[in-house]
Amino acid sequence: MDKTMAMPLYLIKKRRIKRFYLMITLFFVIIQLLWVGIPIFMAIMWSLVNPDDAWSYPNLIPPSFSLEQWRYVFNYTNIARALKTSYSIAPLAVILSFLLSLPTSYVLGRKDIPGKKVFMLVVLLPMIMPGMVVALFLSRVFNLMGLSQTFLGLVLAHTLMSMPYMIRVMTTSFASIPQDVIDAAENLGAGTFVKIKDIFLPMIRPGLIAGMIFAFTTSIEEFNLTFIIGTPTFETIPTILYSFMGYNFIRTNASVVSLLMMTPNIIMLFIVERFLKSDYLSASLGKM
Amino acid sequence: MATLKLTNLVKHFDDVVAVDHIDLEVADGEFVTLLGPSGCGKTTTLRTIAGFYYPDEGEVYFGDRIMNNIPPNKRDTAMCFQSYALFPHMSVWDNISFGLKMRKMPASEQKIKIERVMEMLSLSELGKRKPGQLSGGQQQRVALARSIVTEPEVLLFDEPLSNLDAKLRVQVRVEIREMQKRLGITAIYVTHDQDEALAISDRIVIMEQGRIEQIGDPYTIYRHPETQFVAGFIGLANIFDGVVLEVEGTRCTVQAPFGNVLINAEGQEVPHKGATIHFSWRPEDMKIRDRTSKNQITGNVLQAVFMGDITDLFIEVNGYKMRAQSDDEAKIVAGDSVSFGIAEHAFSILRE
Amino acid sequence: MKKKDKMTPFIILMLIPGVGFIVFFIGSSISITVLQSLGFFNMMGESGFTLGYWKSILSSREAIDSLLFSLRMGILSSVGTVLVAFPLALFFRKSGPAKGMLGSIIKVPLFIPALVAAFLILNLISYHGLINTTLMRLNIIDEPLRMLNDSFGWGVITIQIWKNLPFVLLILMSAISSIRDDTIDAARNLGAGYWSVLFRIYIPLAMPGILVAMILMFIKAFGDFPITSVAGPVYPSSVANRMQIMANLYQEWNQAAVLGVIIIITTFFVIWAYSRFAELVQGGA
Repeated sequence: MDKTMAMPLYLIKKRRIKRFYLMITLFFVIIQLLWVGIPIFMAIMWSLVNPDDAWSYPNLIPPSFSLEQWRYVFNYTNIARALKTSYSIAPLAVILSFLLSLPTSYVLGRKDIPGKKVFMLVVLLPMIMPGMVVALFLSRVFNLMGLSQTFLGLVLAHTLMSMPYMIRVMTTSFASIPQDVIDAAENLGAGTFVKIKDIFLPMIRPGLIAGMIFAFTTSIEEFNLTFIIGTPTFETIPTILYSFMGYNFIRTNASVVSLLMMTPNIIMLFIVERFLKSDYLSASLGKM
Repeated sequence: MATLKLTNLVKHFDDVVAVDHIDLEVADGEFVTLLGPSGCGKTTTLRTIAGFYYPDEGEVYFGDRIMNNIPPNKRDTAMCFQSYALFPHMSVWDNISFGLKMRKMPASEQKIKIERVMEMLSLSELGKRKPGQLSGGQQQRVALARSIVTEPEVLLFDEPLSNLDAKLRVQVRVEIREMQKRLGITAIYVTHDQDEALAISDRIVIMEQGRIEQIGDPYTIYRHPETQFVAGFIGLANIFDGVVLEVEGTRCTVQAPFGNVLINAEGQEVPHKGATIHFSWRPEDMKIRDRTSKNQITGNVLQAVFMGDITDLFIEVNGYKMRAQSDDEAKIVAGDSVSFGIAEHAFSILRE
Repeated sequence: MKKKDKMTPFIILMLIPGVGFIVFFIGSSISITVLQSLGFFNMMGESGFTLGYWKSILSSREAIDSLLFSLRMGILSSVGTVLVAFPLALFFRKSGPAKGMLGSIIKVPLFIPALVAAFLILNLISYHGLINTTLMRLNIIDEPLRMLNDSFGWGVITIQIWKNLPFVLLILMSAISSIRDDTIDAARNLGAGYWSVLFRIYIPLAMPGILVAMILMFIKAFGDFPITSVAGPVYPSSVANRMQIMANLYQEWNQAAVLGVIIIITTFFVIWAYSRFAELVQGGA
């Protein structure tokens, strides 16, 4: 107290300002933790409810915990099959969208062709177009082609939805290779094969990984197309979650499935955050 | 208009002392330049005056008011930024009127002031343009117009010319100086360009490592540097150590490594006999083939660089290298032996 | 100066797998939507030009209500998210202690699927959810509030904001980070207080970013199916919902197509309006 009395007024004020900023930061930390943490915490709580010891108002957390809900979901619902479907479609969709995107991304990233802006917008269409409209009327196209209710149809649909991310991110990384590097390689006698192997592939690798992660999560999350084209023959995690949240709302099942669906994605987020420049994040979000 | 005073000013950034106990008084209407290498604390000092930084110790006075706690928007200063910092989304007119709007000046009064300033800086045609459509020189003038239109107490310049090409730089600095004189506004100008500082200032403050090395008018700073740093930083200088052999009034005989020199310390602090001193002189003080000066030096030319009006000479005297200049018409080439005379008043005695 | 590349057969061949694939599937589904809304290309029964489906949709109370509801969700979700995200983006402008970690935390919902997000928030705002329970325990309210499946759609808006906050935040942060410190300092130096800096510098300079964020948010929330069907009111449903019910439940594909065309037109109109506006802003700059 004595110390502050001896301090000049402006120094006291400065301290106050510092403390004020600290308070603001703390405020945001708490708000954000609550904002993101509480919903996830509640889902975890619901997935651990003991079916013999109901959790109801006015308890803020369940009276006792058990893994019964998890056991139930795996034993008595289609979740295991849905998991298998989801995780077999996703890698195929990622690979297919990579193969389809690669040549296009190269051209869009490295060539200055007429109408490039239009192509870049067209490539975004699956992301911009309202999902349900595309789903419903693509199902008509798929009907004509005999792709409805088929595994191949689902893979194609998921590929379509993940391509905007793939192309945007890979185009950005192709475009970010300095022409000097390529010229230098050619100058030193690199042929096409060497150029691809030693210049292009290593330099687009971060973009490629980012693109694949985005494509993968897109496929895992895809709901509209899967719901219209795949159900009831194929169920993925999102469609099964939807069925738990529909007219017969089973909160405990839904929380188990939610956690199953969300965990890999959050792990992906931290991979992306740790290893990749955030440029890729914004590139894939398609700043128009 | 106001006087400006900094007393015992200190500013830290974490562990780095950017400004280290600075005292400075600037008279009303004076043009003072803070000059020094990058990282010397000149910009920090300027930004503390503007209010972007609050001092850790010491005070900033405008007139007799302590400004330490006054936020930048409540201080009547106007700053010209190195990047110009024009508002890219506003027209030239809106940029210039911004400060007046903030002061809630009636529109009719604003109009008169803005038109006068734009006239003065020949911007009248450009009012509707956006900054992105202007050349560098025009942007510079808009920035200047924007800062003087509010008629601030103190004008602050943060290397305002460093983004212009050499020719324009000379032209604009003349304009700035004229404008400041005409309006009589106190001005603090930050630069690392010594030519600019010498050309524009009433007084120059040389800064190094957060401290003031020397304050003086351009002539004094150039002719009589007080420290080794100032001598080396402003212009070219030959700096040597020597032992004072004899003192006679203000005249000292000094034993330097390359030979004895006679220094007249008139107007400077006269050293004691037996003291070791640092001293310096300018290359242009070495008058070629001048037999009248007290100090006579003969050296071998190591390298002669022809610059047009003068020839830069790198010479060796008794194994010690020094620089000289020749405006003699005779061509000098490496290997020549040349004699020089140095006047006894040409030397500056330096502090550490 | 780099010279323009020509459309050689090689380049066209390279574009086909990516652009061609997308154009084929998206193009064919849009075409079918448009054609069916006008009575062509029916999978069964007769085909032929008619505006009858448009008439019946535009005169249907349910369809109009759905449309208005979706518009409301689109507008309020986009405005709401930007209002929450903008102060956060300002806060993140200057790096500070713990902000890196905060940045990661706040991005979590970006990677949480929409349906999961709906479920997570639903736990909080449902009739016996955490918020109601807490408020009642604190004796602030006597009766639980109806926040889920409410007729206005607050539940949907809440979920949309929660899920899309990081996405909008990223866009706004990149818009704000491109504003130079000098510009802010200059404004302060010229006498602008905090509010003047906010309204005359930050907001106008971040406007392109704000618009992009609002457009993308609007499109998402307007055409949304799963969130509204889980958390939205019993009546009206969203346009996407109504369209899906019409097509799959009632097999009224032509009327569903009309709704589809309305959604597509709205989406494109919003994008077109944005690009016009962006041109206007840039044309003056």
